[in-house]
Amino acid sequence: MKYVILIHSNPEPWGHPTQIYTAEGRALPPERHDEMDRQFDALMTEISASGELVTAEALADPAAATLYRWSPEGHLATEGPYAEAKEHLAGFFLIDCDSRERAEGIAAVFAQPGGVVELRPAMWSGGDDQ
Amino acid sequence: MTTGGLEHVWRGCAPDVLAALVRGYGDFEAAEDALQEALLAAARQWPTDGLPDNPKGWLIRVASRRLMDQWRADRARAGREQLVAGRSPTENLAPAADVAGERDDSLTLLLLCCHPVLTRPSQVALTLRAVGGLSTGQIARAFLVPEATMAQRISRAKSRLRQVEARFSVPPVEQLPDRVAAAAHVLYLVFTEGHTSTTGAGLHDVPLADEAIRLTRRLHECLPRSGEVAGLLGLMLLTDARRAARANGDGSLVPLAEQDRTLWDRTRIREGIGLVEAALPSGPVGPFQLQAAIAAVHAEAARAEDTDWPQIETLYGMLRDLAPSPVVTLNHAVAVAMVDGPTAGLDMLGPLLQDEQMRRHHRLHAVRAHLLERDGRVEEARVAYAIAASLATSIPEQRYLNTKAALQKGRHV
Repeated sequence: MKYVILIHSNPEPWGHPTQIYTAEGRALPPERHDEMDRQFDALMTEISASGELVTAEALADPAAATLYRWSPEGHLATEGPYAEAKEHLAGFFLIDCDSRERAEGIAAVFAQPGGVVELRPAMWSGGDDQ
Repeated sequence: MTTGGLEHVWRGCAPDVLAALVRGYGDFEAAEDALQEALLAAARQWPTDGLPDNPKGWLIRVASRRLMDQWRADRARAGREQLVAGRSPTENLAPAADVAGERDDSLTLLLLCCHPVLTRPSQVALTLRAVGGLSTGQIARAFLVPEATMAQRISRAKSRLRQVEARFSVPPVEQLPDRVAAAAHVLYLVFTEGHTSTTGAGLHDVPLADEAIRLTRRLHECLPRSGEVAGLLGLMLLTDARRAARANGDGSLVPLAEQDRTLWDRTRIREGIGLVEAALPSGPVGPFQLQAAIAAVHAEAARAEDTDWPQIETLYGMLRDLAPSPVVTLNHAVAVAMVDGPTAGLDMLGPLLQDEQMRRHHRLHAVRAHLLERDGRVEEARVAYAIAASLATSIPEQRYLNTKAALQKGRHV
């Protein structure tokens, strides 16, 4: 089963890894950051080796985004971030796991100061058999 | 011969070639790489030069040459001169004339790929590559993951086997039942992956369901007296027989009860039923045999309303005793509802709603919705269909459930 792990965050300035650029992240001592980094590296090594990590991308500053809206007259493009969002999509990981429990275990490690991590099952075009 | 026909030949030879190489040289990882190169060479040369007289011998010769080249290149730094000198590439690598020996080899290879130190996805990938002779790219496409991910999974699996010094030999007798069971499970996973995804939009260049049937047939030939292997092959054939009837033109799923049964493949059904009938009386009954028996009962009904539900109910009861799981209870509840009415089925679903994993599974809610609908509890059915739709991750399934939920709304209580 495939899942995406969506990292929502609002780093100031925009940068990766996002947790060191948020107010909550800056408030943490360096040792805590080191510890989180170690945990994260261990997880990345593990899910790369097991083949569960399918792909991952860090996204550029939402200021670099272009938004398209549909209107009866045609498509309307606006430059810049999606204003209504408090936290922006900062990056995503696509994983392929045996069970939802496993995916939850992986996603939990992504929790970070000053951001929200969302785990969503991916949909597919086939169907379960009767 | 067409390229497809040629591919059939070289993939059919793959496990025997690999087995001969591993037997001759001992290094599974290097032998597997050499085999892949030989298969590539076959893909390049056979379509223009024609099928060699002895395809297996051709592949062994080419692969051995690659292995020797590799060793010569490594010789200085690895100090393998002794080893190279001691083993001639051709003398003990002539394809075994003895058919029984070949069968044992491909069984040994399958069991090696299903070694307990490997994770299930790795066992699946390695089996398809080493025993099935598929390329990494083909396996990656079949499982809809990037080729790099699959390449990593396979190479990790091979180095893991090297680390534990897994041997190319039939496992000791006391380990054999577990290893065969693991192999059967791996083949079953390949089949279900292929079977469920072939209805979707994506058509793969290698139908995994066909591949699983081919390999299981081979396993059955090696172990004709294993009831569970026979049961597994029967289950695959009986399920695959419905392939043409399972999807509409738009790719949406047709439930079993609504399928056009004239589209079912009678040859597969006959073979499947024959396997079940031969296996069931002859030994300990296992979960694959029972599932095959259930599929056989469905296959024997010319129309959905002719289905022998009491017999299916009994078989699910046996399956529950043998291999209890929430999914079996769910299927059992469906059969009970068909025999004793929707309320009896709904009573069995109650405890499943408390189960952490099951209550997040769309099928529990879909079955519940269906039974509530049959019981005339329209509003409860609508809510259950809506829950099921929100949990479904299959697009056709979600579409079907949303439609059902909307239909309940239009009804008068």
